[in-house]
Amino acid sequence: MSPRDEHELKYQVTLVELVDRVLNKGVVLTGDITLSVANVDLVYVGLRLLLSSVATLEEQRDRELHPVGAQP
Amino acid sequence: MIHLYGLVQGLDDLPDLRGVDGAALERRRIAGLDVVVSRSTRELGEVTHDAILVHANVVEELMSRSRAVLPAQFGRAFTSEEQLTEAVQTKATALERGLTRVRGCVELGLRVLERGSRTDESTGLSGSDYMRTRLAEATERDRFSQELHGPLAALSRTSTRFGGASGDLLQAVYLVPEEQIEAFREHMNRIEGAHPELTMVCTGPWPPYTFADDREESHERSA
Repeated sequence: MSPRDEHELKYQVTLVELVDRVLNKGVVLTGDITLSVANVDLVYVGLRLLLSSVATLEEQRDRELHPVGAQP
Repeated sequence: MIHLYGLVQGLDDLPDLRGVDGAALERRRIAGLDVVVSRSTRELGEVTHDAILVHANVVEELMSRSRAVLPAQFGRAFTSEEQLTEAVQTKATALERGLTRVRGCVELGLRVLERGSRTDESTGLSGSDYMRTRLAEATERDRFSQELHGPLAALSRTSTRFGGASGDLLQAVYLVPEEQIEAFREHMNRIEGAHPELTMVCTGPWPPYTFADDREESHERSA
């Protein structure tokens, strides 16, 4: 796997893990789902190819959530 | 609509962030609990990548600024202050218990997969021998899965194992005290070194989404 492919795969895995948590986990105070899920691309492929660690994914997540030098 | 990000304990100041739809973050004190919300004048009709990331980012910031945070599940907005107040009051005891449970901890996720396909050595076996072979394999997988999970669970305040998708040797989530993160990471590295045949997918640290709701009885308590 090329570094670019690995980077993309880590991004996808991290994003899917995040989306799964935000949409499916967390405390629920009401019984009604008031929002519909749309336009969320749940691509979850190639996990078998990924060899990662807490550190690398933590760095990846930080880059995605807090991009350095990002322009508005 | 009122969008709920979570409940917090020991939060000094709200983060300098905008919430979903660019709305300002607000803080409420309900039944002795601090609740972080934002208001939107329009009906929130659909979930987008941006909205999810904004929600997640706010929760992350709340976690970094407070002693404990119970992240709220996205997609359950409130139509009025009264509805929000009633919902928090109704679950106040469980929410306080949840904040105590997650205080000082982060969530780490783990999936362990066996790389490559197994050689099928059962060809030609009789029906009963085939079933015995399969049973022995399943038993060995369970034993090995527990061997991987046990030490990590012991480093955690609580943990949850999932059935896992086909091919997963182990799928679990751990609520790890901050002072144990390094030990957890070192143990992960040892497993990776000792078992090159495995693919380890470990993510985090996350806010404690999996352990936020009052489902304590379903978690495995550790020492």
